[in-house]
Amino acid sequence: MIKLVHAGKKFDDLVLLKDFNISFEKNKITCLFGPSGVGKTTIANIVAGIVPLDEGLVEGVDNSLFSYVFQEPRLLKWYSVYENMDFVLKDVYKDEKRVKIIDTYLEMVELSQYKNYKIDALSGGMAQRVSLARAFAYPSHILIMDEPFKGFDFKLKNEMISLFKRMWEKSQRTVIFITHDVEEAIDLSHMIYTLKNRPLEIIDIIIVNNNREEIKNKLLSL
Amino acid sequence: MMNSIMRNKGKLLIILFWILAWEIGSLIIDQEIYLPSPHAAFSALINLLTSKETYITIFYSTYRTLAGFFLSCLLGIMLGIVCGIRKPLYDLFNPLIIIMRTVPVMSIIIIAIMWFKDNNVPIFVAFLMCFPIIWTNTVTGIRSTDVKLLEMCQVYKIKKLRVIKSVYLYSSLPYIQAGMISALGIGWKVTSAAEVLSLPKYSIGRFLYDSKVYLEIPDLFAWTIIIISLSFLFEGLLKFIFRSGDQHD
Repeated sequence: MIKLVHAGKKFDDLVLLKDFNISFEKNKITCLFGPSGVGKTTIANIVAGIVPLDEGLVEGVDNSLFSYVFQEPRLLKWYSVYENMDFVLKDVYKDEKRVKIIDTYLEMVELSQYKNYKIDALSGGMAQRVSLARAFAYPSHILIMDEPFKGFDFKLKNEMISLFKRMWEKSQRTVIFITHDVEEAIDLSHMIYTLKNRPLEIIDIIIVNNNREEIKNKLLSL
Repeated sequence: MMNSIMRNKGKLLIILFWILAWEIGSLIIDQEIYLPSPHAAFSALINLLTSKETYITIFYSTYRTLAGFFLSCLLGIMLGIVCGIRKPLYDLFNPLIIIMRTVPVMSIIIIAIMWFKDNNVPIFVAFLMCFPIIWTNTVTGIRSTDVKLLEMCQVYKIKKLRVIKSVYLYSSLPYIQAGMISALGIGWKVTSAAEVLSLPKYSIGRFLYDSKVYLEIPDLFAWTIIIISLSFLFEGLLKFIFRSGDQHD
């Protein structure tokens, strides 16, 4: 279990978190659902150690490795697809193993033929698939996805979601998934936190089961 | 193909126009000491190009310019990287760089003459004049690095040295290259200036000085043409290296 305990965070005069508690179950996909700008990314960044807490503490992340699928692909555009994967894996795996792992994951996202392409030559969807492959190829314990399908059309989004599901089945890890898209939230998550207000509050905790319509109505009514 | 021939033709015509303007100017003034004719300058140039000493001189002056230039690149880029990343170091070095940028070249040359052997004065001066340009451009380049990429590196726990090599350096490369090109041009100018005052045995500056002393003004023009040509040649070479480097990546 990963926990934020009595967390407090201010940005100048803006109190984002005050005595805030939340927990994420290991090897499950937990969704942070809520309007833009409410502080979902901040929570994820606190867990990942990018943003320090003013008060309180993060439990259960000692010695954890993180990977992250950002809203944008965040790839090095002067490197090829392969080199971008290699860049994050270099300190983790030996040469031979690295080649194998990169090939495996590029295969999974169906980009094997493009491995020597420069990032500039890829479409937005392809670039985001590289970012997804990078996140799964890295031996992280915790994977953060911050609105990774934002701006994609319906078809591309569905492709990415099923791709994600397949990859997660193969290599299960703790996932914090940020979105304000109802369909995405229900499709991917085991559990959904609905968040609102400033300082941030948890409005509801939803366990995703087969009652999709009911959950959908609940999320839409927020 | 056709297009590039037309463009070159246009360029040639422009050059011919200015040479003609020079010719007319020299005809009006009609005093070789003030403004020799293009014909006099070019025949002095051809005369120079037949002498072995000229090539030795060109070799030594080129060596000095490039030595100063490479030294400033090496130190300017290295120091620029660390100052670009670490703000306190930037604050520490910035006043020094500002002073280097504003001190008159002549003061530096005269001080350098007191400190060094005549041969090394131009190298030191070229270094001192080029260094701030390279440093400033490198710092600007490093600071232009996308914070989002750095955040990505932080998440994936990439080692600092690799972040510098793969992220900072590539991001700032266009700035560093632009800095190197302008520094090289300035390098040629200040090296000749320093040579005129320090008078190393084989140096273009010494010949510039001699032509003033002996009033051989066409020679002065001929040597100037040589410096300009060398400057263009090496700038072209540098740009060629950068371009082929880009294609290689």
